[in-house]
Amino acid sequence: MTTPATTAPTPALPDPRPHPRHEFGSDVSFGRVLKSEWIKITSVPSTVILIIITTVVMIGLAALLAWQTTLSLNLEADPEMAAQMQGSSDAASAALGIPGSGLAFGQLLIASLAVVLIASEWGTGMIRSTLVVVPRRSLALLAKQSVMAGISFIVGAGSALVAYFVVQPVLNTADLGFALSDDGALLHIVNTGLVLALVSIFAMSIGTLIRNTAGGVVTSIGVLLVLPILFTVFGAGTEWVADAARFLPSSGGDQMVATTIAEGAFTQWQGALILGGWSLLLLTASLAVTRKRDV
Amino acid sequence: MIEAQALSKRYGTKTAVDAVSFTVQPGKVTGFLGPNGAGKSTTMRMIVGLDNPSGGRAAVNGLPYAQHKAPLRELGALLDAKAVHPKRSAYTHLRALAATHAIPDSRVREVIELAGLGPVAKKRVGGFSLGMGQRLGIASALLGDPQTVILDEPVNGLDPEGVQWVRRLAKSLAAEGRTVFLSSHLMSEMALTADHLIVIGRGRIIADAPIQSIIDGQGAARVRVRADRPQDLLGSLAADGVSSQILEPELLEVTGVEPRRIAEIAVRNGVLIYELTPIQVSLEDAYMQLTSQEVEYSSQSPLSSGLLAASTEGPRA
Repeated sequence: MTTPATTAPTPALPDPRPHPRHEFGSDVSFGRVLKSEWIKITSVPSTVILIIITTVVMIGLAALLAWQTTLSLNLEADPEMAAQMQGSSDAASAALGIPGSGLAFGQLLIASLAVVLIASEWGTGMIRSTLVVVPRRSLALLAKQSVMAGISFIVGAGSALVAYFVVQPVLNTADLGFALSDDGALLHIVNTGLVLALVSIFAMSIGTLIRNTAGGVVTSIGVLLVLPILFTVFGAGTEWVADAARFLPSSGGDQMVATTIAEGAFTQWQGALILGGWSLLLLTASLAVTRKRDV
Repeated sequence: MIEAQALSKRYGTKTAVDAVSFTVQPGKVTGFLGPNGAGKSTTMRMIVGLDNPSGGRAAVNGLPYAQHKAPLRELGALLDAKAVHPKRSAYTHLRALAATHAIPDSRVREVIELAGLGPVAKKRVGGFSLGMGQRLGIASALLGDPQTVILDEPVNGLDPEGVQWVRRLAKSLAAEGRTVFLSSHLMSEMALTADHLIVIGRGRIIADAPIQSIIDGQGAARVRVRADRPQDLLGSLAADGVSSQILEPELLEVTGVEPRRIAEIAVRNGVLIYELTPIQVSLEDAYMQLTSQEVEYSSQSPLSSGLLAASTEGPRA
């Protein structure tokens, strides 16, 4: 303290009666903030219900698609054609993608939930409690991101794995059953979880930047769902638009769970780089902006 | 202990807090008094790092708040009673906050009982009254058994029993050697709770002194006198150079002399006195006087007539 004497506050006296110190509580650590965020997420009933709904719906959609696939195959009028289709490589690789087929729907729910979790901190004022307790803002945000990304991964990979077992008896009726050890089967299931985790980070970062539930949900759904449609519409005639569309976050996610890679298309890992890159970019931006802002 | 050094906050061209410096000492209750919009909350929010200062710095127990390894054990704050997710129960809210510092459940239950929230601890906070919200905010401020406690308008919305509880709590925390910093726009509340006062007006500190010296330092002593012939007494006092005024038919207010001197003058002039009461300057009077000086000082514009004049321009404008 080197303020001039005229403005210096009264000199600090040593604490005359140090107050009794209780032997509880320790330093803040990432693990402890994770636990705090876990308690927060699991203690709001509507959040838990939405996570369960997402899981159930993703499994249900996969089962429906399996049923519809076998049904259309079995109903082929010409038994010879049907026999040809059954067990063909096209149908088989399509079947590989059935466990994660609820992803398109699942990522909308996960994106919305991720936005709600962070935007409601500002909406309810809870953020002020959060950041008084954990004043290192990046630590607090990264813990929330990690918990939600972890939950999203488990919802995605878990529901795809459960769906795998649910759809096997259905697919077997059309001779389309496959084993987890089959080429690409496990990668598809794991990547279904990874896409949801990355989408969660993507959407929560948008929610952090916008700090408003409605605005954040509209923006992230718009980018994930509406933007690809716009690109498809306008990309029909213009090549560079169609080319740029391959770098959209949603395109990256699509490639991650693809079971056949068309010629010239991005591989699963390239897709992961695209979606992961977008998520990392927004995450970094949201941390930087939050550090500067008043809460 | 809290130290603020030239702490400032500007929003665009508006200065909310203008280079304030003060120290809040441990072992006593320090009141932070000022009208609404004076910059109390902004200053407190800068101390805990919710607002980034435009200039200057604040330290809690020797370090900027965010640099402490265990912030909750250094400082507990009630800044906003509604800083809670309405769908969570008071218990889970506190448990989530406690988890960040590995504070055990036993302490969570302790502060719930301390704040008198036992019967409603498992209920959703959304249904809480303002007073219950304040109690929850105070409970969370005490969670880490902190050395320093900041309470922004803690008695807002509390019932009389709750108000008394906050007073006792603030005093007992200070008696344990902790630093207690509480804000209010209610002077009467401060008079009852605080040992030391920091008065803020328009973002500047206008007084920083023990509460008694603020009361003593403002205005000359006044004495209320009831006499049978007030007009005669007024004249005699005036002859002695003492100013007074008649408030009611038999009531005078005399300024600037001791009661004994008034009685002497009355006896000399044969006036009967049947009441002679020194008037204690209230904190409220002292405060009004302080802030009116601030207004006179800062409005050098043609708009100097009222309290509301040109409140956004600084004195240098």
